[in-house]
Amino acid sequence: MGVYTGPVQNLIDELGRLPGVGPKSAQRIAFYLLKVDEVDASRLADAITEVKAKVGFCDRCFNISQGDNCEICLDDRRDPSVICVVEEPRDVVAVERTQEFSGRYHVLQGAIDHLQGVGPDQLRIKELIARIGAENITEVIICTNPNIEGEATALYLSRVLDAPGLTVTRIASGLPVGGDLEYADELTLGRALEGRRRIGSGE
Amino acid sequence: MRVRRLWLTDFRNYRDADITLGGGFTVVVGPNGCGKTSLLEAIGYLARLESFRGATLDTMVRHGAGSSVIRAEAESRNRELLIEAELVPGGRSRCQLNRQPVRNGKELASLMQVSVFTPDDVLLVKGGPVHRRRFLDETLGTMHSRNLALRHDLERVLRQRNALLKQAGGRTNAEVEATLDVWDGRLAEVGEELAALRSQLVGRLQPVVGDVYGSLAESRAATGLTYRRGWAGDLLGALKGSRCEDLRRTVTTVGPQRDELDLVLGDLPARTHASQGEQRTLALSLRLAGHQVATETLGFAPVLLLDDVLSELDERRSRRLVGVLPEGQSIMTTAGALPEGDVHPELVLSLEAGRVR
Repeated sequence: MGVYTGPVQNLIDELGRLPGVGPKSAQRIAFYLLKVDEVDASRLADAITEVKAKVGFCDRCFNISQGDNCEICLDDRRDPSVICVVEEPRDVVAVERTQEFSGRYHVLQGAIDHLQGVGPDQLRIKELIARIGAENITEVIICTNPNIEGEATALYLSRVLDAPGLTVTRIASGLPVGGDLEYADELTLGRALEGRRRIGSGE
Repeated sequence: MRVRRLWLTDFRNYRDADITLGGGFTVVVGPNGCGKTSLLEAIGYLARLESFRGATLDTMVRHGAGSSVIRAEAESRNRELLIEAELVPGGRSRCQLNRQPVRNGKELASLMQVSVFTPDDVLLVKGGPVHRRRFLDETLGTMHSRNLALRHDLERVLRQRNALLKQAGGRTNAEVEATLDVWDGRLAEVGEELAALRSQLVGRLQPVVGDVYGSLAESRAATGLTYRRGWAGDLLGALKGSRCEDLRRTVTTVGPQRDELDLVLGDLPARTHASQGEQRTLALSLRLAGHQVATETLGFAPVLLLDDVLSELDERRSRRLVGVLPEGQSIMTTAGALPEGDVHPELVLSLEAGRVR
């Protein structure tokens, strides 16, 4: 691909570094930005500057936060004894949408993935262990992704989270609600069978 | 399972072709470089979303074109399938089944099955153990798409464990030990399961390979298949036992990635002692046996793709091969003539430079 005049090529290069944006998309977005009104382009630039200036990570749970602590950590109505452990801030949003969980979170900021150079040391695991003692936590729910790296992270956590009176649980894998069995992929259905539970009483 | 009709657009040297295939035995003839193997490659791509020649997307797209389309009308388990794949080098390749997007290769593999023989398959006998492991895993994948996921998981766990060993650089600490424990557990789980499947498959292949080899070679030389695991005892224990060694060598030294399938022909190791002709016949026997075992498991025959198989065999063996071809759809390419005698393909497709004559 040819090289464009300085600032344009810089923009293309920067856009190309974004996740999910390849060289062709980067070029397309760059030329789109060249064409839009200056106001629109500035709004985008301002939004990026503002988010970097104002938003950081919560000191306690490492979720995204506008102050030292995130809104969830500051909310007194939350159950202080249960922690849900997730990989990324966007997973917090996903669990929050269920409205099924009233405890607090801990964001690991990734999963164990040695191919990307991420070992347990690069994750917020030490901070999690420290919280368990300091906050009198009774249950940790491990909510990492059900893939190879997420499962390994869950298994690692189950080994290092060992405190008296602490229950460590893992979310179940299973079928999407409202779906049809016949369209379920066999791995998911297999996992759902493994994790089946009793519904009748009869002994 | 059969592929009835195939449309190729900008695929290899096909600009725009519409090819109708026979439901039984089809022979594809034509000079070198006219696109015979490419036709088989296109059918194989629809089953696996990759080339059985190991070709990259940009080599499969016709020179000068931006993308290719492979489209096929097929039938499997009484279900009509319209499979469409678009190959976009450096972009987003897509695949649709009956106009619905297909998420991954595994989904397609549960609907479309092929057995492939290529001249490179002589490596099954002559080459290193990696070829034989791949043969076993490919056959398992044809039998059940779940087995593809297992193989994929094994590769990912191994890559992670090896990356960890490299990063540890021969030194260990509590964190490395605890993380290795986690990967050992996963590797043992996946590895034991895959090894059990491989071993079971070899047990089923053993008598079939003997039969097929006997009828192709008109020989009584006994064939033997022995599956050897790449560890002793249980895998979890073996991984613990080799941990020091693994840390020192920064690679996983025990596990199914070290499995071997020993092939014996008339009491001697086929890899070192069989003649070139015997090795080729044995390799073909392995593929045909895999096809038969997969057929038994599936309850129907996958599409059998035989690339340039006759060039490997003498006249008598060629004739016998055509005689023992299984029921179902088979497509064979050849640059030369068909063997003399009682050979009646349902259809002979004559190709020249990327089109049907």
